[in-house]
This record gives sequence, structure tokens and C-alpha cells, in this order.
Amino acid sequence: MDSGESKAMSEGKIKVLTSKLGFDIHNRGITLVNMALRDAGMEVIFIGNQFPKQVVEASIQEDVDVIGVSILSSTYMEYITELTQLIRENRVQDKMLVVGGIVLPDDVSHIKGMGVAEYFPPGTPLTVISEYIARNAPRRSAS
Amino acid sequence: MEEQLAIPDMAAVKSGRERKESFTTTSGIPVQGVYTADDIADMDYSRDLGMPGKAPFTRGIFPTMYRGKLWSIRQFSGLDAADSTNERFKLLYQMGMTGFAVAPDNACIMGYDPDMPEAAAEVGVDGVGMYSMKDMEEIFEGLPIDKINVAVIQGITTACPHTAMYLAMAEKRGISLKELGGTTEGDPCSAGGCSVSGPSGPNSGSLGIPFSDLLRLCGDLVEWCAINVPKWHPVSFTSYNYRESGVNAYQEIGGMLSSAVAVIDEVLKRDRGLGVDDFVSQFTFHLASHNDFFEEVAKMRAARRMWYKLMGEKYGAKSPRALSLRFHIHTSGSTLTYQQPLNNAIRVAYQTLAAALGGAQSIHSCSYDEALAIPSEDSVLLSMRTQQVLQDETNIANTIDPLAGSYFVEWLTTEVEKRAWEFYREIENHGGWVKAADSGWLREQTDREAIKHEVEVRSGEKRIVGVNCYQMTEDFFKPSFFRRDPDILEKQRARIAQLKEGRDNGKVQEALRELAEATKKGDNVMPSVMKAVREYATIGEIMDLWRGILAPASARGRLV
Repeated sequence: MDSGESKAMSEGKIKVLTSKLGFDIHNRGITLVNMALRDAGMEVIFIGNQFPKQVVEASIQEDVDVIGVSILSSTYMEYITELTQLIRENRVQDKMLVVGGIVLPDDVSHIKGMGVAEYFPPGTPLTVISEYIARNAPRRSAS
Repeated sequence: MEEQLAIPDMAAVKSGRERKESFTTTSGIPVQGVYTADDIADMDYSRDLGMPGKAPFTRGIFPTMYRGKLWSIRQFSGLDAADSTNERFKLLYQMGMTGFAVAPDNACIMGYDPDMPEAAAEVGVDGVGMYSMKDMEEIFEGLPIDKINVAVIQGITTACPHTAMYLAMAEKRGISLKELGGTTEGDPCSAGGCSVSGPSGPNSGSLGIPFSDLLRLCGDLVEWCAINVPKWHPVSFTSYNYRESGVNAYQEIGGMLSSAVAVIDEVLKRDRGLGVDDFVSQFTFHLASHNDFFEEVAKMRAARRMWYKLMGEKYGAKSPRALSLRFHIHTSGSTLTYQQPLNNAIRVAYQTLAAALGGAQSIHSCSYDEALAIPSEDSVLLSMRTQQVLQDETNIANTIDPLAGSYFVEWLTTEVEKRAWEFYREIENHGGWVKAADSGWLREQTDREAIKHEVEVRSGEKRIVGVNCYQMTEDFFKPSFFRRDPDILEKQRARIAQLKEGRDNGKVQEALRELAEATKKGDNVMPSVMKAVREYATIGEIMDLWRGILAPASARGRLV
């Protein structure tokens, strides 16, 4: 896991945890997203392929503002259901959840209903993703 | 909107002004306005082109090519459970498919059975579950596998057991392994499917199994098949995978050659009596076909010429089969769009044409819904029709390598070849494919090209219809997409429970023990893998065994 800078150094930076879910190893997209978010001044912690449980655990451990998952297999419904459920159970709904990869058009409103803030289909310009996160990420209050 | 309604400035055109500052291929090769004989003045017909079926094979690997036998229509297919896939194969066969290729689900490609908890969400995903020989029996029931050959597309780690399941199934049907034709993909160098992160690194899809072991397993299959299944293609070097990850056209074939060298050297170093002519003859290759039409054709022609030179000069190969690059084309999935999916049918048509003009031996044409789901019946049929119209109506197969002699195509073939050799040499200077991948260098090259593409798309320099131009808020074409059987997990769990109950578990355990021994001792694993699959050992059982021996740190493949 990419551990990133200490919290003192990263105060003010939006902290994003990114992950691929399950066995899907199509990672060209997430590689570019990670790069674009870092270029936009965010702190990105990429944990590779994980299951929903590990994603939620890591997002709590790393105290991130945003969780971004990438799925290019047809498993999104199962994993997003589990992920959003675990987010609720662990009471970390304040972290923004965004999804990239393949979600069938008919299912997009469904996953938003489950707690996904935004879905970015293939072909979405990277700036659209980084600007969305920059505008909508929950702000950490000065402690 | 303004840009899309731009009326050409005819005065500017008449004065000789061009649309762009520079014109390049997708891979960045600068392209002139006009090519003439001067641009290919150094070309020598017999040295650089030759006749089809003769050195250097630029024009094709067989003397008659499509005049003798058309390329195989080989659509990569697999869905839900074995029975559904069998139905799909039968439909495609009736509709004119001439080669099979079976797509494994995510669970089995990673070496998991449906009753393993990690795999729960991956059962039946994007392919068919092939968990044991029983699945192979049902997938191919009633299909003429002695006449039409099958490509068994594999994850790198599962190539041996999945191949064994297919071979054992064929044997059981009374087909002699000495006669059986077909292909295993299982290219260790394309580890990680569409990611090139280093075969032993994260996201590599190799489950933490070191590259040397992946090479060993591939070598075992090559070696064993050379003797026992002589008509089988035990490996298909899948440059498609890293091309899709981002490398460009000439890097694709430069890399492909380097990856083949890794496997050839692995087998030769065993020094067990096999020379290159004995086993390289059965190598095949699996290339992409992208959008830059002429560059793709040039790439395929260049690849054949390069392979001939490499095998002759580096290894002293003599057999024409060992010197010939036999390849399958899979049209590029990454060029297909989520937006306006019907456009993809057109992209695929052009990519398929390029493959045919490039002299491919078999072609998979993606379906228009590729960016959204695995093919529906409708969409896969259109893909087949794309190939059939090409074969039966356009007459492009009337003559061999019709683009030969074109000033542009010959110049481009030479240029692609030159740059591909440069990339090949860079990899070899890094110590060969394995070291270049493990060090992260290949990943850097891949990422650099992927970024370049992204920058070009964002700036509009690279236009993608429907994505960064001609966008629509509402698509007029709304196909219905394939959706997995919602009960697939339950069904597969029930089937595997039934399998495990019905087989002789004593024999399975004994076979697995023998396999463990062979694996640890460095013997060829195939005889014991064959024995185990005949007793209906499962993919999960075999992979658990190998994960335990070869990648103990990652234990049961908890995602590394």
C-alpha cells in the first residue's frame, strides 16, 4: 500500500483512497485516474485489487475523504451493494464514494440510490473526475 | 457545435494548406502526403517480401492463404454455466463459426472454485465456469472438436490444468491426442491480462507466483505437448494484452518477439532433447487490431518478417513452421466506446478488414456492446456477419496480400519493423522480458503511451466519435445487454458439490499428492495434472496446491 505523506504535511489536501474491486485486473483507467488526482494536488492512496471489506478498513485507517473504486467486470452490483452496506455499518457515509468503469446505463440510478455519489463511465475526461472530486469532496474541519 | 459545423475553407484547400500541422499514425509515425517509388527504393522483392509461404513470409505464411482456406471465424465466447455456453456455441456453429474459443469466468481464470468464499462475486462473471473436466465435457457436448479446433483461452497460472481438462475430455471422447488440434493461450509474459505491472507484482493476476515459476509451467506445457499432442499449440503469445494496456503498434510486436524469446530460452535451457524446430513450430500469436488501418496491416506484415529473421538468426530454426508467425487477431476492445455503442460495429468492421488484409489465421470480432457487457446473441451474431460479409461478398480474399507493392504500405511496414526492433532491443538490453517487466520498465513504457493517448484525446487531437466529438445526450440506439443468470452462484455451488461427492476422492487426493511431488521436484507437471483432471480434480484444488508451493506468502491467493 502506498502510505502517502504524514497527516501534518497533507492537511488541506483532499485524501482519496482508490481501489480495484475483486479479481478484475483491467487497470489502465485507474492508473490514469490516480495520476490525474495527484496532478490535481490530491493525496492518493491506491491499494490495488481488494474486496469491499478491505476497502472500507483501509479508508478508515487512512482517514480518507473520498473512496474511488474501479470495476471493469460485470460484478459492480454485488460489490457496490456490499461496499455501501459496509460503509453504512461502519458509519463512514461522510466519505464520498465514486465509481469508475462499467455500470450499465439502467443501473446507474440504482447505485446512486445505494450511496454512490457519482459514476464515471469509460471515456470520461480525467479533468471531469478530478474537478468533481475537488468540488464535492467532504472537507475535513481544521482540528 | 461550432467545430462540428465547420465548413471547409476551399480557398485555403486550393492554396495547398492542409487540415493539420502534421499527420501521424496512432503510434506517432509521421506520414507524408504522398508516397512514391523513391520511398521504397531500397526494397528488394525476394529479400523483403518473397512469395506467400516462403521466406521472409511478409506476404503470408501459406502459399495459398485465403484462396486455400479462409481465416477461421473464432469468437471468444463463454457465459453462465457449461450448458448455456454449449447452447451459445451450437448457435454460433450453426450460424457459420469455424473455430471455437472459450472464455473462462473470473473465478476459474484466477484458479477458484465456486465454493471458495473469495470467488463468490466472480462466479459466472464475464465467461463460463470451467472448474473441472466435467465442465469441458458439457461445454463441448455435441460439437465436432475433432474437425473444428478450439482455443482454450487461459489465465497464465491455469494454462496447464485447463488445457489438461480439455485434452482429457477429448481423449475420453475417443479422439487421439496425436491428432487433436487446438490452442492454449497461457502466455506468461502477458501476465496480468491487460496490465503489465510486472508478473510478480501487484495487480499482475499471477497471484504472487514468481515469474520463473510461470515460465516453468508454460515450458512444461510446451515440452509435454511437443511429444504428446504434436498438433496442439501450447502457447499463444498475447501481445493483445499489453497493447490494450497502452503500448503502441510497434511496441506491441517488439514486445511480442521478446516474450517468445523468454519462453524459447526456458525450454532450451532444460536441455531435454527438444530443439527449436521441435517446439517453436507450434507457437502461435494473438495480436490486436486497432483503428489505424494501414498501420495495423503494416504491423502484421512486419511481424511476420521479424519472426522469420529472429528465428533464423538467433536460433538457427530451419523448419518453415518454426519460421512462420501464425496468428489470431482479436479486434481491439479498448477502442470501443461506452457511448453510442452502435458505432462500435463500424469500428470492428474496419479492424476486421485490417486483420484480413494483414493475413491473420483466425479472427475474433468484438461485439458492439463490448464496452458494456459480454456479447448478447444479437451482438455476437452481428460480429460473425461482419466477418462473413467480408469473406463472402467483398472479394478481398481473391488474391493474397493485395496491399503489397503499395508505396505507402511497404514504406510503413519497414518503418514499423524498424521501430519494433528498437523496442525489442531495448527490452533485451534490460535483460529480457522478465527483468524488463519486474523492474517496472515495461510498466513505465505502457503508462507513458497510455498517458499520451489520454492527452491527445483530451485535446481533441485524437478524435473519438461520440466521445469527444459528435456527442449525444441521449443515444438513439438502446440495445439490451447480456446479464448474468442471477442464480449462477447457487447453481455452480450445487454442481461442484455434486461433482465432489460423485468422484473417487481417494484417487483425487492421490493424484494431487503426485502433482505436489512433481511440482517440487521440478519434473514436468503435465502427466500428474492430466491424471488429476481425469479424476475430476478441480481448478481450485490444483491452484490451491500450486499457490501453497509456489506462492506461499500469498497463501490462498488473498489478493496480493
